[in-house]
Amino acid sequence: MSLVYFKNVSKAYNGSLILDNITFKIDPGEFVSLVGRSGVGKTTLLKMLLKEESPTKGRIFFDDKDVNKFTNQDITFLRRKIGMVFQDFKLLTQKTAYENVAFAMEVAGYPEKMIEKDAPELLKLVNLEGRANNFPYQLSAGEKQRVVIARVLAQRPELILADEPTGDLDPINTWDIIKLLTKINELGTAIILATHNKEVINTLGRRVISLDDGKIIRDEEEGRYLI
Amino acid sequence: MLVILKRVFRTAWQGLIRNSWLSIACITMLVISLMILGAILIFNNVSNELVGILEEKMDISIYFKREVPEEDILKIRDELIGNEKIAKIEYISQEEALLMFEERSSRNPAIARALEELGENPLAAFLSIKAKDTAYYTSIIDEVNESAFKDKLMTVDLAENQRVIERINALSTGIKLGSILMIIVAAILSVLISFNTIRMAIYSLRGEIEIMKLVGASNWFIRGPFLLEGALYGLFASFIAAIVLMPLVVWISPKVQSFISEISINSYFWSNFWFIFGTQIIFGVALGIIAGFWAMNRYLKV
Repeated sequence: MSLVYFKNVSKAYNGSLILDNITFKIDPGEFVSLVGRSGVGKTTLLKMLLKEESPTKGRIFFDDKDVNKFTNQDITFLRRKIGMVFQDFKLLTQKTAYENVAFAMEVAGYPEKMIEKDAPELLKLVNLEGRANNFPYQLSAGEKQRVVIARVLAQRPELILADEPTGDLDPINTWDIIKLLTKINELGTAIILATHNKEVINTLGRRVISLDDGKIIRDEEEGRYLI
Repeated sequence: MLVILKRVFRTAWQGLIRNSWLSIACITMLVISLMILGAILIFNNVSNELVGILEEKMDISIYFKREVPEEDILKIRDELIGNEKIAKIEYISQEEALLMFEERSSRNPAIARALEELGENPLAAFLSIKAKDTAYYTSIIDEVNESAFKDKLMTVDLAENQRVIERINALSTGIKLGSILMIIVAAILSVLISFNTIRMAIYSLRGEIEIMKLVGASNWFIRGPFLLEGALYGLFASFIAAIVLMPLVVWISPKVQSFISEISINSYFWSNFWFIFGTQIIFGVALGIIAGFWAMNRYLKV
């Protein structure tokens, strides 16, 4: 049983093909990097998995269920199982770091006591215990991304989609975030990392799917950035 | 359920306090809308009262020839009282007519002198008729004109009355139509103001709504606090509108009364305070909720 299965997926915008006949599978607990130039369709691919976008052709399966057939309620549950880390963080600006983490737990229906216990622990895990009451505008880029990771962890997802998570970060913060992601992966959560950071990919030594011109040109178990 | 309500209330309250400028802008606009509503309610009452006063002042007087005996006039009165269009008939004898005339012209010594020189009562007895509806006056006049007792009548100035009646009818219809038109325009205006303000407020938070969706929040989980926030805007706005309306009513009431002494906005406002305040609360809260619901829907389709 695969966690994610893209089957002959194509996506076109206004008649121009962005993704062409994409097929791949990701198993539970896997760490997969998705590489390719900007605009090659990495983000579109992730958006289709979250059902933010629909494929023009082909089918996408999550936990062996066809995402295209999902109802609104199914999509809500799907998004609770898939954590998303964005380049632009996407934190709730009106909420503190603690409230951002707590929000993800409230959404999933966790009881208040559990939230009060787990949210500070998650912030501690990403080294932000002293910043719990700060609003996003009071945090640095690296701190914001760590809040995002704490929020994702609060969801207890089966899969984390990280779309250029280090795009806005300096090298030290980049490695902090990558280390956090590998640590989370070691604990059993599958990760899809979309990036064009060559150094990160080559150091990770994990599975790499390379995209070019809307197609998969390489899918290697211990891949390198070769575009 | 209690936990969800607690979370919805907490989030709504946080939104209200943390987006203070946005909240102030929305509440201010809602206050304006509710002030318009309050003004509509008061204006509606004033125009109704005005129409009532005009209608109350209307009547027809049928003057009888001086030689017609009183019992004949009373017989005609009894006959007319059975007419379903007539609400009230009053008989005014020649003596009573003279007394009324003297009273009215007491400030004019020339008239008193003229009456003295005349030596006898020149005034005719008459029946003062009030119709059940102002629209009936013309047909009552027609019926009197064609009645069996028409020969007993003096040269009645029905035509003059008819013109006055038609004018008053047109005026009261105009006031009624005008007030309905004003109510519609003001209501549309106030709804548009609040809808657009709340729509803009939600537009500025569309990014937050999108993030909430991506974190897996259901539509109602997101909507709840926003709708409650809208309701709180409406609630606060209605309190402020009532507070602002009070001194305004006290200030404007004597000004209106100096034109039309029978109309007291002040007494209407205070005797109907809870109705006006309640209407404002219902209208404000409903506006806040409906505008929020409507404006949010497009951003929930992520």
